[in-house]
Amino acid sequence: MFWRLLWESFARQRRRKLLAGTAIFLGVTAVTAMLGLATTIGNRIHLELAVYGANIVVLPKADTLEVTVGEQTLRPTTGNATLHESDLTKLRTIFWANNITGVSPELRTPLEVLAEGRGKTEIEALGLWFDHPLQAAGTPSLVTGARALHPSWKLQGRWPADKLAGKLDPESKDALSVETAVGSRLAARLNLHVGDTLLTAVPFPDADPPFVPLNLTLRVVGIVSAEDATDNTVLLPLALVQQIANTPDAVSRVEISATTKPEDAFARRDPDTLKPKDRDVWYCRPYANSIAYQIREAIPGAQAEQVRQVEQAEGTILGRISGLMWLISAAALLAAAVAVSAAMATAVLERRAEIGLMRSLGASKARVAALFYAEAGLLAVVAGTFGYVAGSVLAVLLTAKIFGGGVMLTHAFLPVLLPVVLAVALLVALAGSTPSIRGALRLDPNVVLRASA
Amino acid sequence: MPVQQAAPLLNTLRGSSTISLPRMLLRSLRHRRARSFSALAALTVSALVATALLTLYADLNAKLHHEFRSFGANVVLTASATPGGTDPAAPAPGSQLDDPATLARIRSAAGSDVLAVPIAYAVATTDRGTPVVVAGIDFAAAEALDSWWKVDRWPTSPDTALLGTRAAGFIANEKAVTLTYAGKPLTLRGGGRLRTGGDEDARVYMPLASFVRWTGVPASVVELQIPGGAARVDAAVDALRQNFPDLRVQPVRALVAGESRIVDRTHALLFGAMALISLTVAVSVLATLSASVLERRRDFALMKALGASQAQMLLHFLLEALLIATAGVVLGYILGSAVAWAIGLENFGTATLPRLSLLPVVLLLNVLIAAAAALLPARALRGLQPAALLKGE
Repeated sequence: MFWRLLWESFARQRRRKLLAGTAIFLGVTAVTAMLGLATTIGNRIHLELAVYGANIVVLPKADTLEVTVGEQTLRPTTGNATLHESDLTKLRTIFWANNITGVSPELRTPLEVLAEGRGKTEIEALGLWFDHPLQAAGTPSLVTGARALHPSWKLQGRWPADKLAGKLDPESKDALSVETAVGSRLAARLNLHVGDTLLTAVPFPDADPPFVPLNLTLRVVGIVSAEDATDNTVLLPLALVQQIANTPDAVSRVEISATTKPEDAFARRDPDTLKPKDRDVWYCRPYANSIAYQIREAIPGAQAEQVRQVEQAEGTILGRISGLMWLISAAALLAAAVAVSAAMATAVLERRAEIGLMRSLGASKARVAALFYAEAGLLAVVAGTFGYVAGSVLAVLLTAKIFGGGVMLTHAFLPVLLPVVLAVALLVALAGSTPSIRGALRLDPNVVLRASA
Repeated sequence: MPVQQAAPLLNTLRGSSTISLPRMLLRSLRHRRARSFSALAALTVSALVATALLTLYADLNAKLHHEFRSFGANVVLTASATPGGTDPAAPAPGSQLDDPATLARIRSAAGSDVLAVPIAYAVATTDRGTPVVVAGIDFAAAEALDSWWKVDRWPTSPDTALLGTRAAGFIANEKAVTLTYAGKPLTLRGGGRLRTGGDEDARVYMPLASFVRWTGVPASVVELQIPGGAARVDAAVDALRQNFPDLRVQPVRALVAGESRIVDRTHALLFGAMALISLTVAVSVLATLSASVLERRRDFALMKALGASQAQMLLHFLLEALLIATAGVVLGYILGSAVAWAIGLENFGTATLPRLSLLPVVLLLNVLIAAAAALLPARALRGLQPAALLKGE
């Protein structure tokens, strides 16, 4: 009898059920979408903030200081210690390896070039990865480099290839042809355009150790505008600059972009003074400090530091924006709850006559209440499930619309959210119907039936 | 039958007084208190949500731009007009960037709310003979501009230096830091370490006035923090370039562009959220209200039987809905402003003030919802046969 009543109630009052169901559906959709947005917003904003460049920088433990003010190196550093390029694969094996989204090593060396109409000119060559695969055994490959780390660089033309066509051979008569990108200010000074070539057939007379004569043809394939010191350099593949400088495997500085957890008081603790248990917790949280610490452990002779200007400000802004989203999600939840409660209350109110009839036919109060609660619960679960699906899809569409990038429906559904939103929908539907059900049950069936006859 | 039933009712109404619209409205609202209350709650929530979100949305620009100030300077003024010159630390002749008059001119060009911090640089040698960049800066200004600098304690006395964490490795005596510039030694008190992860780590910072007295080198760089978006920064850069043709004015492009992008995207995000939540609440409210109108078919039939025209009855429902909607707006606006205020205070540390200009918008939204809720069921009511309904068929 109970089940038949339940079934009939849905079958006969489709329109009313649809109204209440729509309210629940929309409420759950909004809440799911907001929660979905709030949980994924961190990664999205991190990617947006990537324009500010690396948040961790790795330097060799130096025996001299670099003497740089703004864009100008006041005195070139000599005899500097370097890191090993081959050690960088170890970045893929540290605890937070998957949080490292970009790696860009660099090496600088002076270089004399022959530019048309200007004779010999000494310039600075900056060796970089452009799109370089970084892979340790058994880990997925990460294609990264300066391009990924500096999305704000403007490029006219294209980036040079990382791979060299051959080895720099001092014995060879034929010049090795290499692609290069030139900094915008240097290009203006030397009157270079995309498609031009630069020759380096000049030995360094006073170099120590003596350099082999270089025989290179640099083909300009791109002009880079970075609006910093990079604009005064030629950008070459790192492997070539290592050969030019005669320092195989050397890099002087590595920029790293990593997804981090905003710094809190615990993050600022010195891990070496923590108790072993706390130290493990510290180590296993993606703070910029702990990632830097792990990099120091992995790469011998490295000094890894968070770039505080980027990291601190990113942390603040990330915290503010995701905080805002969470608070708005909470507001959405509250609003949806009140709206759904009101809809449920109305749905019960208009069925007072039915309650009166059931009561006069001998149904106990508990039984009537059970029927109405079962209806509300069923409605909440069904409409809530649809709402969860719609909300998840909506969150992905909204993210794709706002932040760009493709729509990845496979990542849309956060399974954790389903029980949460269903529980909320159930709670709200049941709580929303309670006052009306109680009110309707308190009335004398006779009065109700007469009033509505 | 229905007419006979209705007649006594009509007489009682006549007996007490004449039927007037306000009376009927008031009675109808009071009589069904539970329903009126649930309609009021629904419309209050819709007004609350609209007010809170619109208030936050209107204030978001200012709030976010404020947060972006933690990135530091977004425009750099450099005295050396020719990059790569022989001695870049030496300023161009005639430009005294730390001169109060120059700073005043910069402020008048870029705006009075601009933070301008002059910095002087020189290369000195440490007590270990290592060359090191020494920078002269006003520490109070640096503290305001460079909030990311990690400093144990900011020095206050004129003879205290702040040692970059890497520079400190090249200084033997950190308590009494002896630096030599052009043969002139100077001993400063070590005032703790500076840690930034950037170029600053390799420098020694000291108060600007003492720096100039010691080296005779005036400030060559002014770092500016211009609040506001890209348009404001661009305008300020243009103004500065016109006023100081011999200086290089360079916006920190990554900062300016990134800020605009993120502010825009957050705006879009909030807008999406706002549309979604408003729609949800609007539809729920609509469902609630139109259900309660539908449910009153009997009243409707009675009024029709008593001779009311379709238009009169619609007017009645409409007025009733509008009355509740207006009450909802008053409550919702107050509550919504409070919610926005609390969210602003909680999340951004500064309260979001209520905006009276939003009141008409919220009122219009709510009235539209209420009117739609009252008029939507009208079609269903038109085909109603009063006699049949009142008889209970």
